[in-house]
Amino acid sequence: MTVWAFRIAQRVSLLVALSLLGALLGATLVRFAPGYGMDESELDPRLSQASREAIRREHRVNSSLLSYYGAYLASAARGDFGSSAWLHQPISGLLRERFPVTLRSVVLGVISAWAAASLLALAALFYRGWLLDLAGTLASGFLIALPVAVVAIFAVYLRVPVFVAIGAVIFPKVYSYLRNLLLQANDQPHVLAARARGVSRTRLLLWHVIPLAAGPVAALFGVSISMAFGAAIPIEALCDAPGLGQLAWLAALNRDLPLIMTLTLAVTLVTVAANSAAELLHERA
Amino acid sequence: MSAKKLLRAFSAALLCAVFASGVCAGILTHYSYSRQFREAPSAAPSAQHPLGTDHLGRDLLARLLYGTRVSLLLAPAAALLATLIAGLFGGIAGLWGGWMEKAILAAADLSLGLPLLFVLIALRALLPLDISPVISVVATFLTLGILGWPASLRVVWAAARRYRNSDFLLLARAGGCSPSRILLRHVMPNLLPVLLAQFWISIPLFILTEATLSMLGLGVMEPLPSWGTLLKGLEDLTAVRANPWMLSPLLVLIAVVISLQLILPAREEAL
Amino acid sequence: MRALRSHLLAWLVLLLCAAPLAAQSAEELHFCLHGEPKTFDPVLVDDEASENVRYLTGGVLIRLNRQTQALEPALATSWELSKDGRAITFHLRKGLYFSDGTPFTAEDVAFTMRRLLDPQTHSPTGDAFRSGEGSASVEAPTADRAVITFPAPVAGLERLFDQVAILSAHSPKKEMAVLGAYYVSDYKPGAYLVLRRNPNYWKRDSTGRPLPYIEVIRLDIQRNREIELMRFRRGELDLINRLDAEQFDHLRRENPAVTRNAGTGLDAEEFWFNQSPAAPLPDIKKEWFRTTEFRRAVSLAINREDLCRIVFLGYAKPAFGPVSPSNQFWFNPALPAPKYDPQGALRLLEQAGFRFQNGVLKDRAGNPVAFTLVTNSGNAVREKMAAMIQQDLSQIGIRMTVVTLDFPSLIERMTRTLDYDACLLGLVNTDLDPNSQMTVWLSSGENHQWNPNQKSPATPWEAEIDKLMREQASSLSEKQRKAKFDRVQQIVAEQQPFIYLVNKDVLTAVSPAVVGAAPAVLNPQAFWNAETLRLKPAPESGALR
Repeated sequence: MTVWAFRIAQRVSLLVALSLLGALLGATLVRFAPGYGMDESELDPRLSQASREAIRREHRVNSSLLSYYGAYLASAARGDFGSSAWLHQPISGLLRERFPVTLRSVVLGVISAWAAASLLALAALFYRGWLLDLAGTLASGFLIALPVAVVAIFAVYLRVPVFVAIGAVIFPKVYSYLRNLLLQANDQPHVLAARARGVSRTRLLLWHVIPLAAGPVAALFGVSISMAFGAAIPIEALCDAPGLGQLAWLAALNRDLPLIMTLTLAVTLVTVAANSAAELLHERA
Repeated sequence: MSAKKLLRAFSAALLCAVFASGVCAGILTHYSYSRQFREAPSAAPSAQHPLGTDHLGRDLLARLLYGTRVSLLLAPAAALLATLIAGLFGGIAGLWGGWMEKAILAAADLSLGLPLLFVLIALRALLPLDISPVISVVATFLTLGILGWPASLRVVWAAARRYRNSDFLLLARAGGCSPSRILLRHVMPNLLPVLLAQFWISIPLFILTEATLSMLGLGVMEPLPSWGTLLKGLEDLTAVRANPWMLSPLLVLIAVVISLQLILPAREEAL
Repeated sequence: MRALRSHLLAWLVLLLCAAPLAAQSAEELHFCLHGEPKTFDPVLVDDEASENVRYLTGGVLIRLNRQTQALEPALATSWELSKDGRAITFHLRKGLYFSDGTPFTAEDVAFTMRRLLDPQTHSPTGDAFRSGEGSASVEAPTADRAVITFPAPVAGLERLFDQVAILSAHSPKKEMAVLGAYYVSDYKPGAYLVLRRNPNYWKRDSTGRPLPYIEVIRLDIQRNREIELMRFRRGELDLINRLDAEQFDHLRRENPAVTRNAGTGLDAEEFWFNQSPAAPLPDIKKEWFRTTEFRRAVSLAINREDLCRIVFLGYAKPAFGPVSPSNQFWFNPALPAPKYDPQGALRLLEQAGFRFQNGVLKDRAGNPVAFTLVTNSGNAVREKMAAMIQQDLSQIGIRMTVVTLDFPSLIERMTRTLDYDACLLGLVNTDLDPNSQMTVWLSSGENHQWNPNQKSPATPWEAEIDKLMREQASSLSEKQRKAKFDRVQQIVAEQQPFIYLVNKDVLTAVSPAVVGAAPAVLNPQAFWNAETLRLKPAPESGALR
């Protein structure tokens, strides 16, 4: 038991360290990429020299990036992530409002993509029907060739919720990995041997094939969550769903340093947490 | 299973045909991809323009063929690069473990969370504005290849980890195999299913991402066509309704992607 | 099938709405904003979404009628300008209340103007009032009179007040207490905004019925134009404020009754060569770009008719000067019409020492002429225009590369690094009066894009523009101002520092359910008369009775 507690503690500290590093790197990227601190309103001919200067001052990070980051962390530890440079709203409020929206679509999207993909892949394997396999290939081939924006527009056109679009984007990826992993496991010598001994198909699948592929499949599950978050960015932006994805899109367009930093922190946290959870689950099993 | 074989032969033929038409674009059409027939914008298919013209009156067939050249030659190369990097890092992390494993996994997790968009924006600023289209295209696909590895790394790693203490590796180690030989000869073949999946996914993904990058001033630039830029036109539903022939690049891409999946070795013959 | 469904839907809506309320009070005008409103503080408004909200909610002293382009009394029943043009006196309507019930007095006007004109506020609206050195004084001698005195005459002073929404000096709700037709009742960032009828709004129609007629305006925040159009087609939206040409054309063929073309708009699409001496460009390029003949030749070689016909499907007019013909007062009709003449362009280039050989244009030293055009990404229309210009210029042997950049990177290149050859953009004209474009025309101005922030004018013609612009700003006679600015337009047409391409039509769509819409070219095009719009009761309501 204490071993487990120790392991979890180790994971959590790694998780925190990585997220903080992620936020710092994210901030560095934004800060030093061109276009930082530019404001469209500078092109407004009505503005006086003093007002232009004021706009520029507002965007300028006066201190060095590291001390800026330090100050950010200090206030973040108190639960205050500062306020968005572009929306002029407290970031913690924005997150609180938007996180549930995205979480819901990501979770439902991942679940539906996995349900569809594993159903198709397992059915193809179980019935050894190449027609089923072809159907899966056709579906995933079609979905993966569609630009994400087109998927999003279709989602609005068909009035389906955002999670369906997210599911449609990650389904082909999950299906492709899953199919290949299961086929490989099915091909292993001891599975072949079991089959030769006349073990039933169901038993073969549940006792031999799936456990063999379990490690990579667990890892794939962790990865599919970060895929879903990645897909949520353009989809939410296009469908105008008020979630984190849309926020990230707008933050990037507007070079909103504190907001991007916080979002990178959050996304890294979720990614690492999902991957660690997948790992722990697998190790325990 | 002859139907399956037939399907496979058909896919192979289709792939070859698409590749060949890209390479021989100049022979198959006598139009330039950039010439604007301004008297016939958004025209329906006709004898002169088998697929019609785009909104500026450019021959769509010519654009599709020349676009094939750019996309179908470079995207698989970039996909291969991404797959190899993932295979290498994933294999190393899975087999050797220790701090190397931790570092590689951490790097992959981190780069999944980072806004890499800004790396590309910075890259654009480092390159001069008037780079030649060839350099821009190659640089874009190279970047995609280099940045494309983290997504599948964890799966590769998990697959490789199964062999860390397996009998055949112990044997190979005992037999004095060098680490690189173990990785390449013994483990890689076992990672193949994951790597093939990654390769297959990356091709259409990179073809589409290239078009997104042209928004940042990278990638294929006007008037050079690519499948990505042609597919991006589909976001304009109004235009697609007016000229459904705009969907032809999508159909070709779907056909290519499905054919690729069908001919990539999946070894289910063993069933 | 579709008819049946909409019929059922209408029944359902009626049943749901009719139960608790009278049928008409549930009416709701529904349309989209194309971005997040950055602020509800009318003083700080700088983006289009906030401006539209301000237009619908803010009460102003003087309103510019979007259709007649004339000024009309609003919160002020009348006003007088002093002889020297420095002071303006407003006589205010009596007995008015803000949306929250706070009474409106001259004190509120004084409070608003003080805040607006305070240099520390950095208000874009306030900055437009700046004139000479020193600060303005604002007084409220009685409850219904306000006097504002500026340090120097402000040209076109009255119409600036169209942008000044009056704030309450005392209301605890601060800027959320308004005097306009609507007030903001609900806002979900990233999703929607609900405006509700202001019960204290002062205006009444000719029969004495209080305005506005429509109870609720629901504004969805929707950036994607395709999705907006799709929803309009389905009947979920009542109007679209600005459509692009392709969408408009398609909709017109489908259902001509819903499309409204308000005519040529104020905004122009233009491109310019970077003439700044500080630009990190090779000297040969700088020399080309500073050659008047070169710029005029490029302008001549661009087929504007084709741009209008192909990119804008005929919903645009070739442009040649900084003022759109729909700006009735300020447009200079004496300007030469734009023409397409590649041969003439080559002749001009030869005069300037360029040579056209084997399809390639070379300068005096034998360098082939090639440059890069940057524009903002994500704008399909500009990308199409760039591709057409590319082909036009290749006819006179110029190789043009097109690079699209994200907006912040583009602004950085335009204003900081100056690292670009030529740029294609549409600079927005929010105001009819050229005085608001002062920083564009003055050579010392920051928005003097082709060569910003000059210490002293680089060319004699820029010096002349400086002089004319300063003179028109201090003149009180509209006629004199017009004469000066006509000359500025003449110089710009001769020198082509900005190569104007087209003036786009203002294209809108209004559902047949909306009665009284009269789209105009001025912002907010389709709903400038929101207060007098009505919604037709659903046709099914007759059947219900």
